[in-house]
Formats: sequence, structure tokens, C-alpha cells
Amino acid sequence: MTSGPRCHDAAREEPRAAGSSAPALRSLYFYLTQGCNLRCRHCWLAPQFQTAAKQYAALPPDLFRRILGEAKPLGLSGVKLTGGEPLLHPDIGALLEILQDEQLRFSMETNGVLCTPELARDLVRSGMHHVSVSLDGADAQTHEWVRGVEGCFEAALRGVRNLVAAGIRPQIIMSLMRRNAGQVEPLVRLAESLGASSVKFNLVQPTARGEKLRDSGEGLDVGEMIGLGRRIENDLARTAKIRLFYSHPVAFRPLGRIFGENGDCGVCGIRGVLGVLADGSYALCGIGEHVPELVFGQAGRDGLAEVWGGNPVLRQIREGMPRRLEGVCGECLMKGVCFGSCIAQNYYRSRSLWAPFWFCEEAEKAGLFPGSRKAATDARQERNRPMTDCQCAG
Amino acid sequence: MDVKKPIANPLIVLREEFDDWAILFDPDTGNAFGLNPTGVFIWKLLDGRHNPDDIVNRLREEADNVPEDAGEHARRFIASLEQQGLVGYEIEQGPGAGTGVRG
Ligand code: SF4
Ligand code: SF4
Repeated sequence: MTSGPRCHDAAREEPRAAGSSAPALRSLYFYLTQGCNLRCRHCWLAPQFQTAAKQYAALPPDLFRRILGEAKPLGLSGVKLTGGEPLLHPDIGALLEILQDEQLRFSMETNGVLCTPELARDLVRSGMHHVSVSLDGADAQTHEWVRGVEGCFEAALRGVRNLVAAGIRPQIIMSLMRRNAGQVEPLVRLAESLGASSVKFNLVQPTARGEKLRDSGEGLDVGEMIGLGRRIENDLARTAKIRLFYSHPVAFRPLGRIFGENGDCGVCGIRGVLGVLADGSYALCGIGEHVPELVFGQAGRDGLAEVWGGNPVLRQIREGMPRRLEGVCGECLMKGVCFGSCIAQNYYRSRSLWAPFWFCEEAEKAGLFPGSRKAATDARQERNRPMTDCQCAG
Repeated sequence: MDVKKPIANPLIVLREEFDDWAILFDPDTGNAFGLNPTGVFIWKLLDGRHNPDDIVNRLREEADNVPEDAGEHARRFIASLEQQGLVGYEIEQGPGAGTGVRG
């Protein structure tokens, strides 16, 4: 016996924001810059391409400090810095000082290109506990085909090495598409040799440029994605020296990988997270760049406590999730942990908060959705089986 | 002395998967729970004929390296199932006494 018996309940008690019926606002995701130094083919945010000659807005440090000050009494315990590209922020040093003053641990998603040795040391000193760096190919040709800027492969590798030298082992993130699907294993070996802690494989979401990529036939179909996930989780994970994560929805993950020791529980954090865009807008997440009705207010003008506690869309999500999910998500036994995978993505496609997630919907249509994870109509017969049917041999 | 013999709620469905984990779910509410392999083993013995000591003894017969405190773990596990309405239990009050079922 390796572990004691455990029963994992999806619906856990949530802490509340002080003096409010809203859940605690555990984390803010800061989309710090409107511009980005890369122009990736699959990007769901599709920021403006920023060069020395053309600059775009970035979140002012004063506003950043003010937002953190308003968020702490609501339960804030961590922050994620993302973009565009967070290291492109002209005052990144000032933001790091604020985080250090506020003693807030943070994570960061970066393309790694601008991560100098000094910046890497500053990031670690300021309380960064997790960083992910995107690498979409094991060679320059593939990575740069995806990322649209010459020289960004070597620059990203330097960034990873600088982070490792500063004392933090980054997670490598690879977004999977037809062009790089054959490079999964070489990429894992590259990540191992660089000193990364893990590799996470992301599915390209059909949002913004990701939608165009899929429409152009460069995306993988759902059967290919499921097959690749099995190979990665069942075969490659056995020989890899670092941990591998495959971002398919929870229904496709073995239960032991969700709930077991060191499992990735898959619980969607959306009930405790709010996005802040580079112009200071509060939004569900970066999707607010494309969907105005998922922008909930403006930092500085609107109090964060009122936005978090009173916004009708946020309240609707809290009240209806996961009960109101529709389609295959409505039938799914994992909906209490998964919450339909990504409300932002689901809303973007259908303009409904309760629409099913595209991946599971396509899998269901193709007959590939795992039957054991669905509340099938024959469940009543299943449960009427006598208990002796379930007894263990011996 | 009362001897509790837990009984799995017959309305709950156990779905076993390839890795010996399983999902317990209530088809009426859609509520679902993940069970690890030890939990599955115990669930299958919640038939009103085994008390927690019997169940741990069966576990020791079947599995290696069962820890000393397995009885305590098993009791806590059964209590958590009971709390979630997944399990009730039968009370035997000695020879000749009536049998009550609680849940
Ligand atoms: S994926 Fe990241 S690095 Fe690429 S364009 Fe989008 S924000 Fe920039
Ligand atoms: S069907 Fe919906 S709730 Fe279930 S795993 Fe897929 S996305 Fe998540």
C-alpha cells in the first residue's frame, strides 16, 4: 500500500474575502504590456509587435502599487506577471521593488528573450517562485517559425540559462501544432540539458491568432492531440528526468495524475483570480483585450472591492459554475474541478459563459471522450448492480 | 458494545479506471469524488458485513507494506464518506438485539 485511502471531493470550502460574500481574491494576473517583442502565430492575446521605434502602453507602477494595496484586504496571496511580455515593461525594476516591499510572491510567464543575468537575479531576489519560458521547437528554425522573430531561439536559451544561474529552474512551455509535434522528445531533452524543472505542453487555443492557425490547417486535430497526450504522459514521462505536464482537460487525465501524490489537481482557479490589463482595466483575464463585456472596471477609478464583490458577470459565474455548464461539460463528472476548462475561451467562441469547452466537444463528436467520466444515461442501471458485483477477489 | 458495519449508499455508482483509481458519483446530483486504489478496496467491502477492523485485516491480507496506523486511516476515510452521504452503517447490539441502519 503506497498511500492511505482518500476520497477527493471536487467542491471544497473556499475562503471568503474579508467582510464580503465573494470568495477570496487569491491572485491577480497582470498583463503588463500591450506590446510584445515577438509575434507568435498561435498567440491568443495577439499583442502589438513592439520595436524600439514603436512603443505601446504598459501598466504604470503607481497604479500597480495601488491595485496591490486594494487587493491585499480581499485575500491576495500571490501575483502572476505576464504580457505581452512582462520583461518588456519599461519600469520592470520598479514593479519588482513594489512586489518586494509588499512581500508578495509571484510567478511569471515570459518568452525569455530579454532575461539578462542581472534581471534574472533581480527576479529571484524579489520573490519570484515560479517562472515559465516558452520554447516551441528544439531548433532555431522551428521555434522562430512559430515566434516570428529571427534570433529569438538563442536569446530564449540564454534567458533560460540566466534564470538557472540565478537559482531558479524554469518550466519550459511548448505549444503544440503540426509543425513542431515531431519535436516533443528533442524538446524534453533540450529542457533537461538546460536545467529546466519541467516541461508543460499546451494546446493551441482557438482564440485570436490561435484561431487563424487552426483554420489554416497548422493546428492538430483532437485525435492527434489525445494520442500525443498519451504518448507524453504514459511513455515519455517514464524516461524523462524532469516532470512533464500535458494540458488537456481533466477528463483526459488519469485520476492518479489529478489526485495522487504530486498530482496536478486540475482545480480551476478562476473563482479566486482576476486579470489586470496593461491599461489598468480589470477583466476576467487577458480575454478582456478581445471581449469588452469581460472587462469589469478600471483600476484607479473603480474600487477593486466593489468590482470583485459586485460585478454581475463575476457573480453569475460564482453562482452558476459548474451547475449551469452545458453540452459535454454539463455531463462531465469532472466539472466540479475543471469548471469547463476555460470560461474565457468558451465565451469567446459562443458568447455564453456556460458553453462547453471546444476540445471536449470535438472529442465527444469524434467518439473520443472517455465514457467513465460522463454521467451516462445508463448510470441508474449501473448503480442498481448488487454490491457483490463490486467485490474484490479474495 | 456497538459494532459499526458501514454500508455503501446503493445509489452511488463506482466507476473503476485502468490505473485502479475510481470515480464515485451520484447520478442524481452529478457530484463526483476520486478514490485512490486503497479507497476502492475499502469501498468494495462497505457491504454491511465488515466493520473497519475486518476491512483493515482484509487489506493486510491483500496488500504489502500496510502501515501500522492503517486502521485509523480507514476509520477517517469511512467517516469522510459518511459525512458526504456516501455511506451509512448498520449497528449490531449484541446477540438477539435488533438491527438499526443509520446513514
Ligand atoms: S505568445 Fe507570448 S511572446 Fe508570443 S506574441 Fe503572444 S504574448 Fe508575445
Ligand atoms: S468536459 Fe468540460 S468540464 Fe469536463 S474535462 Fe472537458 S472541459 Fe472540463
